Amino acid sequence: MFVLPPPPRYPAGAYGVGLGGVVPLIETNNTLSNPTGPEYQFLVGEGTYVLKEDLHLATPPPHPSEAPVVNPNPLATTPQPATAGTKMSILSLETRPPPFFYKGPAATTLSLGGTTLSIQEHPSEGRYSTEGAKSSEDGRATSSEVPTGSITLGSAPAFGEGNSLLAPTVSKDVNKKKKPKNNVTKSNSSFISRVIVNDNLARKLTERPSDGLFAFANINRAFQWLDMSSPTKQDYLTKILFTKAHCLCHDVNMVTKSVSHIDVIMGFSTGEIIWWEPISQRYTRLNKNGIINNTPVSEIRWIPGSENLFLAAHMDGLLVVYDKEKEDGHLNPEEEGLNASVSGSEGELSNGSAHGNGIRINKSVHSKNQKTNPVAAWKLSNQRINAFAFSPDNRHLAVVSEDGTLRVIDYLREELLDLYYSYYGGLSCVCWTPDGKYVLTGGQDDLISIWSMADSALVARCQGHRSWVSALAFDLWRCDDRSYRFGSVGEDGRLCLWDFSVGMLHRPKTAAPAARHRGSISSRITAPHRTDTNTSANSGGMGGPGTEDEWEENVIAHPVQPRAVIPMLPPVLTHVIDNHPACWLAFTEDAIITSCKSGHVRTWSRPGVQAATA
Amino acid sequence: MAGFFNKIRNASTPSTAQTSKELVSKKKDEIVPELTPLEKMLQNAGPLREDATDKFFGFENALFYSDLFRESVINYPSLSPSDSSNGSRPRVNVTLRPPLNPTLAPQQQTKKGISAKEAMKQKQALSAGQPAPGQPAVKPEDKPDTPEYKKKQAMLKGPILELAQENAMPYGMDECTFTGLKDIFLAVLQSNTRTGVLSPQRFLEIFKRDNEMFRNSMHQDAHEFYGLVLNDVIANVEANARKIQERLEVNGQSDLAQSVENALGSALVNNATGYRTPGTGWVHDIFEGVLTSETKCLTCETASQRDETFLDLSIDLEEHSSVTSCLRKFSAEEMLCERNKFHCDHCGGLQEAEKRMKVKRLPKVLTLHLKRFKYTEDYSRLQKLFHRVVYPYHLRMFNTTEDAEDPDRMYELYAVVVHIGGNAYHGHYVSIIKTPDRGWVLFDDEMVEPVDKHFVRNFFGDKPGMATAYVLFYQETTFEKVREEQEREGMEEVKLATQAANVAQDESVDKAETAPLKRQVTQPVIMPEHESLANLAHAATAPGLANAPTSPAVETPVASELPSGSLSSSGLITSSTAKMETKSKDDLKREKKEREAAEKAARQAEKEKEKLKEKQYKEDEKKRREDQAKAMQARRNEHEELQKALEASKKSAAQEEAVRKKEEGGSTGFLDRSKKGSKSMSKRSFSFFRDKNGPAVPDSPVNGDAPEKEKKGRISMGLGRKKSMPFLS
Repeated sequence: MFVLPPPPRYPAGAYGVGLGGVVPLIETNNTLSNPTGPEYQFLVGEGTYVLKEDLHLATPPPHPSEAPVVNPNPLATTPQPATAGTKMSILSLETRPPPFFYKGPAATTLSLGGTTLSIQEHPSEGRYSTEGAKSSEDGRATSSEVPTGSITLGSAPAFGEGNSLLAPTVSKDVNKKKKPKNNVTKSNSSFISRVIVNDNLARKLTERPSDGLFAFANINRAFQWLDMSSPTKQDYLTKILFTKAHCLCHDVNMVTKSVSHIDVIMGFSTGEIIWWEPISQRYTRLNKNGIINNTPVSEIRWIPGSENLFLAAHMDGLLVVYDKEKEDGHLNPEEEGLNASVSGSEGELSNGSAHGNGIRINKSVHSKNQKTNPVAAWKLSNQRINAFAFSPDNRHLAVVSEDGTLRVIDYLREELLDLYYSYYGGLSCVCWTPDGKYVLTGGQDDLISIWSMADSALVARCQGHRSWVSALAFDLWRCDDRSYRFGSVGEDGRLCLWDFSVGMLHRPKTAAPAARHRGSISSRITAPHRTDTNTSANSGGMGGPGTEDEWEENVIAHPVQPRAVIPMLPPVLTHVIDNHPACWLAFTEDAIITSCKSGHVRTWSRPGVQAATA
Repeated sequence: MAGFFNKIRNASTPSTAQTSKELVSKKKDEIVPELTPLEKMLQNAGPLREDATDKFFGFENALFYSDLFRESVINYPSLSPSDSSNGSRPRVNVTLRPPLNPTLAPQQQTKKGISAKEAMKQKQALSAGQPAPGQPAVKPEDKPDTPEYKKKQAMLKGPILELAQENAMPYGMDECTFTGLKDIFLAVLQSNTRTGVLSPQRFLEIFKRDNEMFRNSMHQDAHEFYGLVLNDVIANVEANARKIQERLEVNGQSDLAQSVENALGSALVNNATGYRTPGTGWVHDIFEGVLTSETKCLTCETASQRDETFLDLSIDLEEHSSVTSCLRKFSAEEMLCERNKFHCDHCGGLQEAEKRMKVKRLPKVLTLHLKRFKYTEDYSRLQKLFHRVVYPYHLRMFNTTEDAEDPDRMYELYAVVVHIGGNAYHGHYVSIIKTPDRGWVLFDDEMVEPVDKHFVRNFFGDKPGMATAYVLFYQETTFEKVREEQEREGMEEVKLATQAANVAQDESVDKAETAPLKRQVTQPVIMPEHESLANLAHAATAPGLANAPTSPAVETPVASELPSGSLSSSGLITSSTAKMETKSKDDLKREKKEREAAEKAARQAEKEKEKLKEKQYKEDEKKRREDQAKAMQARRNEHEELQKALEASKKSAAQEEAVRKKEEGGSTGFLDRSKKGSKSMSKRSFSFFRDKNGPAVPDSPVNGDAPEKEKKGRISMGLGRKKSMPFLS
């Protein structure tokens, strides 16, 4: 279709001189170091965490076709392409029970969705594999066997369950998973610049310990697959360099992972999505040329329990469910981009009145046209979505945006349940407590906010970062039924660890003196709004008048709470982990792993662990 | 030359949608004075606003765009009936300096063949505050797309409001900083154009007269200037109020009492609360907050409080922090010890003490001065800190006292003063200001340019170019207003997001462009159907508005430009072989042409523009494809030229040529011709062309920039084309 032109020749001096005389290197290598010293360890209640190693992932230089120099004019008004720092995901092929089980509603009074809750566990690495889950849902009929619908645990129905069109042919051979179409190493796509596969990939894969961790990382236009259990982990298993697009996010499917198959999806600054299977080195491009949506993908996640479906957040405020195996259809970009009409491309709209439920459904999952992608598309607003997270019970979705909103969505029913606002500034990250009772958000107010789902209210603000908060994660090894440990990293290059317990999070004092925007919180707290979203229509001081009218029906928009009435939590630890803005963290059984914008992946051994390893 | 490259690439921009608006915007890169993006933005503006918030003059604007401050200045002192019976404001004595002779303008264009490389060097040199060593005989202002060039164009275009005289008398005040400032504001208010350049000569004279340290050519600190202006204004207003009061006591006139009340009203109110000296007035009302410093003597544990007012907060910075955090640190506890001990009244001596500062009363306009200049012992001079300090669009203050009124007050960022430069002794200031209904606008001396919201975030301090935010202005707002605004700007956000994607995708479009100040990309790339339609419709009905001040000669190329970006490139094609013509001939021709064109084209221009715009809009889809092809062709021709034009001296000739050709292109109408054949260019031929030309490029030293662009363009064009295919077919 299109042939990439041969690589340009670099005439030495022709322009290189003016640009500093350095012809950019095509490739740089990852490096592994073990810095030691007092600044590389920190003490918390449970002991001392020590930096085990610092893996520096090479930031790829710009593609030769790009301008090798940064525009020297600081006032240049050319927009920059979207970029994200180093985002990683960690994958263990071995299915081990996670350290912390959420035992369902018995333990709590939580009434999410008003139905009995599923038995749900929060996995160590994102979502728990289905191995155990499948056995536990023997009683379930059709839907659990449906590979394309999402297999959810317990009583939560699978996403798209009601739609028979989403129930595809059941393949008998469970072990034979469908692979993407194209071979990535032999690709002549202009989208992929280079693929470097480790020479010893096959040997490395067979020789590695079965419980070893894989890591996937996107950094600028590179995507790396690493073996964290290898002593030479700086040697990537595979590295893909894209031509121009930056990979902004990715996710690994926890359902389909196996020794012979790993499903990875990546979202790009061009809006495109790649489904990549690293073992076979095959890939498929979705939303090619931004045909469905042409704005960058800021976050991408597999729908929990689903083999095929994943959710991508586009920066124009659109959430799109894609099927990895479906072709791209048209979700008319013009119409969808403009606020004018509420029609998806196929004219396929189950819920015509979009404002009735607070999100505009450009295409419903119940749509009768499911031949092509997207499976579903929901427009939340016109503001950039920064992140989203699925609740542990697989019913809800928490979405945070650049305009400072947190939306809690029942994505099975495609309904907006709650709308919260940051203290000020955009929200950049979100996560759920392992039991799904609280949602945490971090943002440009330097705060982490804890929102109670049962009370539909802000219960605490956590102050400790010196700049914007960029990522949040729970430490499942230090969480239990009553108390939680979570960590956060921010643009200040700091790691903060926080402890909070149910007891600490008393309800907000409602008898606060009058301020401008204060809704009657007390009335809402008692209202079991989850079971009946129509009851309390209090929209307090939120929004403009227009939005209030539109949303009053079904959505509770929660006004900003004044500082004085919300408890402020201090961190149990704040430590500078990097001299670059940090952008990601994760907890594993024996370490905390952090990454920064310049590509330093640091592993901080838990107390006691380093003694064993060192 | 660079201009051509850019334009061509733009014309070929194969993005999903090349809107007609975009095409219009392309003119910006053209050689002749064209519609700047700002003017374009204003094309569909309604009638002039009463409060002049829709006027965009190149000058220090942060104060002007504070609604409160502007209105207060303009309305103070309130006029007594005797002064002007009809209640109209006194007319400011403005000298409208005519724009520089338009016939001069073309002459600069003769020198445009400067390579981007050189320009880059120059710019680096400029930003470093030194003359470039061995600088070629080309002035940076002659290079299109540079700020210098745009500034010059702004001066050419005018109108230039020169405030050389003082109008203090009608105000009943002595000449002072305040009257100077008021003159400026009034002049802008009374100007009947939306754009222009204001030369605050008299204001500066007064200011220098009153402030000794500004009486030299040294670079001054913007924050200091801001403080001095405000303080002067306060002092002037106070003095005047006192004067009036004295007079009032003598005469007992009732009408003047009103103005005194205005001046003193808020101050009197505040007197009751106790932290004001009488006679301060509205300036304080807007900018002044109150800090409480709590000092606790560590010896006797006695806590003492003291209130002090502030007009701005100077906050210390630390690496990788946010403004929020810096503000909190500002209020963090501080130990007074050693040489800095505290005199405790209770113990009666110097004691160690703990001190912290909190905000007791929040100002309406919160001015945050980021202390980027720090005295370092090592260098024994002021050093600029390039810490990355992030600032959000909205802010609330954490460091308020418990008894503060409305401690959760919401602020929105509305102005950023940016310092560009490597140290404290040199540099350049620009400001980025959020205008009430035109979004963010960059004010760089005479140059005024609309920018998008994300541009504001380029000055955290970590980007190259040494441009950092230096003074931040936050103004009071409410949560409701913020939500409303976010609703409104929704589409803009979508647009920007799409652009961001396109930047990554259509490589040719953005990244490839080395021309630094190009605006093309900030124009909407998607959704031509709706948004641009609206704009264009407006533009067609009121074309004269924005163009009014432009001279006829200036108009010509604009009009000819409009048919499409491809037009000029086709013009280039046809005449590229004639490139070797002598310079003198060109000059003659051009001058003559200019005169003729001035008369003819001015008339035609408007009509043509309207027509063409409409037409263009209709043919948008079609043209996009053509443009691509044409651009390819143009580029090929460009190559030939480049190879021919080996000597440096021909740079300028080429540029001249380009101008002339473009004009020709406009008048003779190459539209048809260029349309032909454009479709015949196939993808294949395109890539072939690239292959062929790639290696050849470096041979031409004429334009050091060319090979780079060429290369960039190559791949990107292919990609872009690919991308656009589904939409086209």
